[in-house]
Amino acid sequence: MNKKSSYISIVLITMILGVMLAIQFRTNQYLDQGVTADRAQEMVAELSRLESDNRKFDRDIDDLTYKLEQARKGQTQARDAITDELEKAKMSAGLTSVTGPGIEVVLDNPDSTGIFIRDEYLLKIANELKGAGAEAISVNGQRLIATSEIRLAGSFININLDRTEPPFQILAIGNQEKLKSSLEISGGLVDYFRELGIAVKIQTPSSVTIPGYIKDLQYDYAKSVKG
Amino acid sequence: MWIGVWLAALGLVLGIALGLNLPFTVPQAYAKYMSVAALAAMDSVFGGIRAAMEEHYDNRIFITGFFSNALLAAGLAFFGERLGIDLYLAAVVAFGVRLFQNLAIIRRHLLKK
Repeated sequence: MNKKSSYISIVLITMILGVMLAIQFRTNQYLDQGVTADRAQEMVAELSRLESDNRKFDRDIDDLTYKLEQARKGQTQARDAITDELEKAKMSAGLTSVTGPGIEVVLDNPDSTGIFIRDEYLLKIANELKGAGAEAISVNGQRLIATSEIRLAGSFININLDRTEPPFQILAIGNQEKLKSSLEISGGLVDYFRELGIAVKIQTPSSVTIPGYIKDLQYDYAKSVKG
Repeated sequence: MWIGVWLAALGLVLGIALGLNLPFTVPQAYAKYMSVAALAAMDSVFGGIRAAMEEHYDNRIFITGFFSNALLAAGLAFFGERLGIDLYLAAVVAFGVRLFQNLAIIRRHLLKK
């Protein structure tokens, strides 16, 4: 009985030893292939460092995205402002069609008399209308801009280098009362023209549409001065 | 006596076969202690074989020696690690020397026959 139990214990204990050796063997094999404890700790530390870096970069991304958005918004605003400015400049230059309350003056040659409408008359009317605060003026569909001429050329009157003939339809946008009274003032242009026998018709439509200048504006000599 | 030795060899083979097939490895941090404990256990087994050859084998001494040596060696290595001293080296040297002594004595017993 004593002997039998000792045999059993021998087998059990050597079995335990065998298991220990085998496990140790396999563990070392695994260690050779894998990483050491120190290395693992290093990698864990590096991982946590990289993760915190990653979080920081995520925050940077958010921040920069926000800034970019702001910049884009600013850019859009700037572009809108520039477009706005450009529109204003075009309008000031007379390149866009405009509409608004205004006055319509039609001058026509009298049939009987030998008198005919001279360029000066048109110039005078335009000048008078400008003096009365007209914001846009056109003669027979030709917009008057800074470089527009009204000039006798043979039997025609050239406006913007375009031949026009009577009847002359002059459109102007502005304060209707002022425009009208500036022409109809007693002793003014209308009286003068009528004395000459020219047919003058003045109307004040609530909406007048004046076309923009359609030709190219060329500046061969003038250069803008910076500053 | 020879039955005991053969049983020991049989147990060892069974244990190794079992250990190689277990889906289990020691965590890396404890591999060092496990190795020292295995060395101590090996020493105990060879010591047992030697005792058997010298005809004064005691089962209780064998069993207690096996476990206490293994635990002591592992514990020594553990405390050495905590204290910053490589105490497991002491266990390795001590049990290594005893292992060789036991093997030498076993060899002599075998040769005497």
